[in-house]
Amino acid sequence: MVIRIQTEDVDIGALITGAKKHGTGAVVVFDGIVRDDDITEMELEAYEDVAVAEMEKIAAEATRLHNLLHVDIIHRIGRLSVSENILIIVVSAGHRPEAYAGSRYIIEEIKKSVPIWKKELTKEGGRWVPGEHGHGAGKPRT
Amino acid sequence: MSVKVRFFARFRELLGTDIMTEPGAGTTLTALVSGIAQKNREGYDAIFDEHGSFREFVILMRNGKRVETTEAGKTAVADGDEIAVFPPVAGG
Repeated sequence: MVIRIQTEDVDIGALITGAKKHGTGAVVVFDGIVRDDDITEMELEAYEDVAVAEMEKIAAEATRLHNLLHVDIIHRIGRLSVSENILIIVVSAGHRPEAYAGSRYIIEEIKKSVPIWKKELTKEGGRWVPGEHGHGAGKPRT
Repeated sequence: MSVKVRFFARFRELLGTDIMTEPGAGTTLTALVSGIAQKNREGYDAIFDEHGSFREFVILMRNGKRVETTEAGKTAVADGDEIAVFPPVAGG
């Protein structure tokens, strides 16, 4: 299992090979990439220690809930260009329903609770991407 | 005592980060963060409302654990604490 925050890109092929544990019938790869929303680049930052610990908890819970055989979560930070990889999730399971469900669980939980932020850089300046989930005492204001 | 305060994302841009402070005994989380934020009006307004309370979306952590902002006024910091203040997360 690899749970990591890093600036470098990811060798997805090597992760898939590593995910093929005994009993594997399906590997699901989620690859979140920088979308061309009229931006020049995207800048990501993380509260790294807490983010890694939170992703480890999510991986353990996904494994328990969905009988996964293997989980890798690698989230990149730093400055990324359009079409670059941001987040790679590789899971394996005995059958596809568990693999799909486990992968989906992990990405949705990451969006809820892992302290990472994105700033879209444009020709005019930059804008922080608003979180989808409020985590203070109430909902975020718009 | 010594306490580190870390701001992230927009709050970091406005207020800086990894700020070492030496608060007095009994200083609360709210008082500590408010004192630092007051150095930049825009930064203060991003985190606190007109009554001096944390805005409802602000997330607070003490040594990597969530502290409800509604409890921050009753929670005293301790020597060696790391306090983090940030807006809703947006990873993935």
